[in-house]
Amino acid sequence: MRLTAPRILSLTAALALALPGAAAAAPVKVGFINSITGPQAPIGETMTNGMEMAVDDLKKRGIDVKVVKQDDMGKPDKAISAIEQLATGDDVSVIVGPYTSACAAAVAKQTEQYQVAEVIPAASKEDLTRLGYKWVFRTNAPGDVYAKSLIDAALSFGKPKSVAFIYESTDFGSSLSKVGKVYAEKMGLKVVADEGYQAGSPDYRSTLTKLKAANPDLVFMVSYVADAILLMRQSREIGLKPQAFLGGGAGFDTSQFEKEAQISTNVFSVTQWTPDSSPAAEDFNKRYTARFGKRPTYHAACTYVSIISAAEAAAKAGGDRAKTRENLATMTWNGIMGTVHYGAYDGFTNQNHVQMPVTQYQGGKAVTVYPPSLAKGAKAVYPFPGWK
Amino acid sequence: MIVFFQSLISGILVGGIYALIGIGLTIIFGVMRVINFAHGDLLMLGMYATWLLFKYLGLDPYVALVVTMPLLFLWGALLQKVIINRVLGALPQNQILLTIGLGLIMSNSVMLLFTSDYRILTTSYSSSSFSLLGISISQPLLYSFLVTVAITGVLFWFLQTTDTGQAIRATAQDRDAAQLMGINVKRMSVLAFGLGTALAGTAGALLAPTYYIFPQVGGPFTLKAFVVVVLGGMGSIVGATLGGVLIGVTESMAAVYVGSGLKELVVYVLFLLILLFRPAGLLGKSRA
Repeated sequence: MRLTAPRILSLTAALALALPGAAAAAPVKVGFINSITGPQAPIGETMTNGMEMAVDDLKKRGIDVKVVKQDDMGKPDKAISAIEQLATGDDVSVIVGPYTSACAAAVAKQTEQYQVAEVIPAASKEDLTRLGYKWVFRTNAPGDVYAKSLIDAALSFGKPKSVAFIYESTDFGSSLSKVGKVYAEKMGLKVVADEGYQAGSPDYRSTLTKLKAANPDLVFMVSYVADAILLMRQSREIGLKPQAFLGGGAGFDTSQFEKEAQISTNVFSVTQWTPDSSPAAEDFNKRYTARFGKRPTYHAACTYVSIISAAEAAAKAGGDRAKTRENLATMTWNGIMGTVHYGAYDGFTNQNHVQMPVTQYQGGKAVTVYPPSLAKGAKAVYPFPGWK
Repeated sequence: MIVFFQSLISGILVGGIYALIGIGLTIIFGVMRVINFAHGDLLMLGMYATWLLFKYLGLDPYVALVVTMPLLFLWGALLQKVIINRVLGALPQNQILLTIGLGLIMSNSVMLLFTSDYRILTTSYSSSSFSLLGISISQPLLYSFLVTVAITGVLFWFLQTTDTGQAIRATAQDRDAAQLMGINVKRMSVLAFGLGTALAGTAGALLAPTYYIFPQVGGPFTLKAFVVVVLGGMGSIVGATLGGVLIGVTESMAAVYVGSGLKELVVYVLFLLILLFRPAGLLGKSRA
């Protein structure tokens, strides 16, 4: 038998199948801190789904991953005990998570002490990759891109002159609106209202009334899951009618929000990822929907990508933490989010460069409407036609 | 001016629901001197009951009250008979631990059954409103407020005029004396806890169409109920009603004139000030 290249390949494949333990070394240990319970649980669930898909896909590529899960309940103190447990008790090679900005920031501060790399999948507070943390990497775009994409989109659709901000007073909400306000003013928009609110209140009507009295052309909202729905419901009640509602990702980019067609129709949201952005993304979308019965949100996609980067970097380093960190800083990946590379730009370090598409809910579905290169001819409804 | 009246109206309407939560807590405290830390979790059960009836039987949340109220009453009565009754004579901290434990068991059981997903109950009127001279009045909140007023009215009538109502009040005034007069105080305790639970559940049901539902939703409402009750005077029903509306309006006004993020601060500062000058609450009588 002559050993041609295809033969060698098929032989090795057969060998790998016959001796599963021989090809793969000990499984790579990846710590995964996520909001499994608590108010962020619906988003946490999509992230767990993304993680599971990544583990299966890695296995197909011959990388055996053992994920050690920790629940932070959306609370920073729990996230800190999670990293302590993962880094010392479970001795993981790398950590993916946590979800919220507040938790991710708490964990980021500890990475140096424990000498373990943290790959942040979906937290957007700018500081996370701006303070020069050596061990912190981020897959998703930071807060400035959220605000920039949304405001650019609105300015390309019409001629808004003023903007009102209403946001949850958390790390995520405040940091995102802070950069949003700076960018809005730079683009010549007048900031007519700036309202941070305490999440979990049943009544935002008075705040929204105050907003309505300021008569803004754009209303920029930053909220997690349930408040997004509540804010839009109460906006409809009091008849708030700007030229456009701009939702800063998170709660505005969930299947729950999408389902509430009465209040979500014509609302804009910004997202880290859309299912139709590339063939690989479409394939991911199909497999995810078939497996979990829901469409994947950007949280799922970003987690999927983060787990793959983290696990491959760790596998290549043989599980060594310092080498894993170096690999994360130097390797590049190609996948459902396009090219992923954790590099330095615009004052950020270890930050993946992501262009954030803007979507609009039309007929109960999120449709990509901006930038034109990704919109595929879909037209944005602008200005807001009013409540039905 | 419209902004002022708008926030006044929303404040009063939301305050009505706070009042209902407070009344339930104050009845339980009045009759048994047990501080019920599971109150918010009972409210959460009312929310889930409403949500289930709406989802699987298509029952409107307000119509569903005829099922949820008796259901929660029975649940409360059962809790009292089987568990709370045993600690009536125990140290207050033991009672507190028991009710906290009960609350944890309830919220975690619900989490096991229904996961911690947020449930949103969407009715055809969930985001509708009436317009009155430029002020919009939320339809679901208005309905909830009217139901609250009706229930509070019936409750007053029941406590003031019926024999059972008077027996409950007598037990609240002096448990030993009531027992000496031949009142079955154990039965009154069961009634009171059932009533308090039913009121908490009703408040949950009334919040369901405008709020969201998840297993841990109770915590903040337990806290709010305490503020309402302490503000109005422990054990006073009129006080709790007043306290509820006062908190609702303060929150609403503070959100507009001070800042949305600071409304809780304003509420608690007001709370402290009132307690400084009236330690027994607005309508409370200081007890020996």
